[in-house]
Amino acid sequence: MSETQIQKIADQLDEALRDARSIPPIVDQLQAGDVDTAYAIQEINTARALAEGRRLVGRKIGLTSQKVQAQLGVDQCDFGMLFADMSVDENGTVPFGKLIQPKVEAEIGFVLKSDLTEGALTLVDIVNAIDYAVPCLEIVDSRIADWQISIVDTIADNASSGLFVTGTEKVDISALDLRLCGMVIELDGEPVSLGAGAACLGNPLNAVKWLAETMVRSGRPLKAGDLVLSGALGPMFPAKPGDSFEARISGLGSVRVQFETDTALAETA
Amino acid sequence: MMTNDLQDIAATLDNAMFSATATPQLGGTLSLDDAYAIQAMSFDRRLERGEVRVGMKMGFTSRAKMVQMGVDEMIWGRLTDKMLVEEGGSISKADYVHPRCEPEIAFLLKKPLAGRVTALQAQTAIEAIAPAIEVIDSRYENFKFSLTDVVADNSSSSGVVIGAWNSVPDDISNLGMVLSQNGKAVEIGSSAAILGHPIRSLIAASRLVEERGEVLEAGSIVLAGGATAAIALSAGDKVKLDVEQLGRVNFSVEP
Repeated sequence: MSETQIQKIADQLDEALRDARSIPPIVDQLQAGDVDTAYAIQEINTARALAEGRRLVGRKIGLTSQKVQAQLGVDQCDFGMLFADMSVDENGTVPFGKLIQPKVEAEIGFVLKSDLTEGALTLVDIVNAIDYAVPCLEIVDSRIADWQISIVDTIADNASSGLFVTGTEKVDISALDLRLCGMVIELDGEPVSLGAGAACLGNPLNAVKWLAETMVRSGRPLKAGDLVLSGALGPMFPAKPGDSFEARISGLGSVRVQFETDTALAETA
Repeated sequence: MMTNDLQDIAATLDNAMFSATATPQLGGTLSLDDAYAIQAMSFDRRLERGEVRVGMKMGFTSRAKMVQMGVDEMIWGRLTDKMLVEEGGSISKADYVHPRCEPEIAFLLKKPLAGRVTALQAQTAIEAIAPAIEVIDSRYENFKFSLTDVVADNSSSSGVVIGAWNSVPDDISNLGMVLSQNGKAVEIGSSAAILGHPIRSLIAASRLVEERGEVLEAGSIVLAGGATAAIALSAGDKVKLDVEQLGRVNFSVEP
C-alpha cells in the first residue's frame, strides 16, 4: 500500500473524529489483518496531534478480553494514545455532540513512576514501575459506522478511544487483589456491567507488560508519569444523553460521569 | 386448581427429579400460588423420604434475568441436606437431567428472619458467609419453562457446593467472582450482580418466605442468587469458583 493511500485513510479518520461523524469500515481499503499498516495510520494521526500541541499523557489497552478477541477473530490486544484533552473531570459532564456512538467500560488505571525502556520485561519490572492505581471509566467511541469494526479498523482509529475519567485517590497496588477485584458499572443505580480483574488478560498487569514491550518496539516507550488504562474488566455498555454512570472497582473506590441531556443538546443547537 | 391435581403435579415433578428424567412443561393454567403449593407438596415428599431441610435459594436476582424471563419478582426454592455436595467432592451427572452451575454467595443465619426486615436486621442475623456453587437442574425438557413451571420445580434447585465459612467482610457489595471450568475462566462477575448488593437478596428472602407462611430459621442457609450466567456441566468437568475475600470452592463431575 502506498504512503499516499495510508495518508488518505488517516485523513478520513481524523476528519471523522473532528466532525463527530462515522465513516464506513476502512478495512475495505487495506488487507484484512494488516495490523502494521493499521498502526501506521494511527501513528500519522498521533504525529498530527503532537504537532498541533496536544499533550500525550498515556495509553489505553484494548481487546484485553478473551471473548472480545474471539469476536474479532484475533489473539492479541491493541493500544491507542491518550491525550490530555480526552480527560473528563471526575463526576463531570460529557458533551454528547462531540461523540458519535459512545460506550462506557470500567478499568484500572496505572500511573508509572519510572520509564519502561527495556524491550524484554518481567512482571516484576511492571510492579516496580507502577506508582499507584486509580479507578477509571473509559468512554470508548468508534469513528466506524455502527461499531462494525475489524481489528484493523479499531487500531487505525486509535483503538476506538474517546474520552476517559479517572478517580482521584491514589491506591497502592499491594492493597489490591488485581485478579479478583470486583467491578460494577451502575446506570442510574442499576448494575449494567459486571466483572472482575481476571477479565483483563487474567490480570491487568499482564496487559500492562504487553503494552510496555510493544511501546518500546513502536518507538514511543512508556515514561514516568504516564497513565495506562489497562483494559475493561467487563462488557462495555452504550451511553445515551442524560445517562449517569458510576463505576466501582473493589479496593479502588469509584468514579462517575454524566452524559449531557437532550435538553442541553437542544440549547446548544 | 384442586388440591388433588396439584398433588399429582407435585408427584410428577418429584418423580422426574428422583429418576433424573425430563418431563413436559406444565402449561399456562397455574397461578403463582398454585406453583408454590406444588413446590411445597413436592418438597414434603422429599422430607417423607428422610431428607432434612437446610435452607433456601433465591432465583432471578439479577435485573437482566428478570427482564429475560419477563417478570419483576424473584423466586425461591427449598434446600435439603441431600442437595449438599461436599466441597472438593463430585457429583454424578447421571443423577441430574441436564445440570448447570452458577457462582453464588451463601449466608448462614444465626438468628431467624421473618417478614419485612431492615438491612441492619438482615446483616446482624448473618453468622457467616461462604463462596458457593449452585448446581441447578430443570426437570423440564430442554431446560425450558414458564415462571410458574420453574417455581413448581423448586426453582430448579438441585445441589450446592459450599466453601469455607468466613466472617462477613465490611463490604460484600462488589466481590469479584471467577468461575473456571477445566482450568479456564469461563464466567467472570461480581456480587453486585445480585440485586446490586447481596444483602438485598437476604431481605427479599425473608419477605418472600413469609408470603408462604414461613420464616428463615436460625442455622439455615440462604443462597443469594447467581452472579453470572450458568454454565452447562459435562462428565469429566473440574469446576472452581474464586470469590474475592471469601476463598475458593471446587467440585468435579463424574459420568
